[in-house]
Amino acid sequence: MALIRRPVPSRARRLLRWLATPRSVTFRVRPVWSLAFAAVVAMLTLVPIGHEGPDIGEHEGIAQFVGRFPGAQSVHVVGSFNDWRPGSIALEDVDQDGLWRATVVLPTGAYEYMFVVDGERWVPDHLAERLVSDEFGRENSIVIVRPARR
Amino acid sequence: MRLWLGLALLAGPLAAQSARARLEGRVPGAAVPALDSLVQRAVAEGLPTEPLIQKALEGGAKQVTAPRIVAAVQLSLGQLRAARDLLIRAGDEPPVTPGEVTTVAWALRRDLPAPVVERVVAALPRPPRASAMHAVADLAAHRFDPDSAADLIIAAIGRGLVRERLLDVSAAAAHELQRGHTHAEALALVRQALPNVPASPKPTRSAVARARRPAAPPP
Repeated sequence: MALIRRPVPSRARRLLRWLATPRSVTFRVRPVWSLAFAAVVAMLTLVPIGHEGPDIGEHEGIAQFVGRFPGAQSVHVVGSFNDWRPGSIALEDVDQDGLWRATVVLPTGAYEYMFVVDGERWVPDHLAERLVSDEFGRENSIVIVRPARR
Repeated sequence: MRLWLGLALLAGPLAAQSARARLEGRVPGAAVPALDSLVQRAVAEGLPTEPLIQKALEGGAKQVTAPRIVAAVQLSLGQLRAARDLLIRAGDEPPVTPGEVTTVAWALRRDLPAPVVERVVAALPRPPRASAMHAVADLAAHRFDPDSAADLIIAAIGRGLVRERLLDVSAAAAHELQRGHTHAEALALVRQALPNVPASPKPTRSAVARARRPAAPPP
């Protein structure tokens, strides 16, 4: 009678109990598939650079430029890597949040640069830790491009 | 021997000629003759010309007046001479390589005292020394005493770290500062950890996928 009166556990409680109860699970896998799976995982985690994007040479690296310029119409990065030629490297504000970015393949080395906002305003990269006087009354930022293949 | 002499005699005028071609249309016309003469002087003295051309192109792009561009390039030429003299003083056999002159000139521009630069040059008898110089300058920019910064980088060289790994040493010291350590503590901690300082992360897969080469300059 006591058994009959015991309240039926709720669906959530039963689910919780089912989840918490230890069960034995048996996998039947051919060793060859295990090895193949392990090889794929190793390749995905150990190989840092995929085949997407440009082929990067031994003496090339990747520079990432980021600047906050809310309301800007265009932002370019100009420096000794592009002969100080405005217009060759445009930053993009994909999310329209005022944060402009560009990821660029450059030969390894150290370069001086500035941002050019709306084609006329020269602004140093305030996020860069390295700054040097440009001898024209302003400061250039310095980027060091390290080899991508290390 | 004759061939080398011939090539050496040709290289100078060719460099000067190509410099003029690169400057025309990119800097005020009034500045070109003076800039050309400065570049030729650099060629004659066996100094690198690229930093001078870059400074002139930078001035042109920033729409600086001709006299200011010439003055800045003149200053750059002086810095290159000072860098060459420093390298020879520190033990490099003349003629010193243009790359090393550029590296040392840059270190001096980043406000590293000449004796500190000399110590780093002497500690690294074989170039390239660019990473070592930038590592010391990075530490100095984080208000580490330049002499102590050079000590740390020289210690790292002694422990077998070379090239870009030296930048990891300065990054590790800066990281210790961010963690709240004093400058002295940060230096001691990194020195203790040598040569096992954390390597900077490699570019991520997504960064590589996003990466683009700069657009070619217009003809």
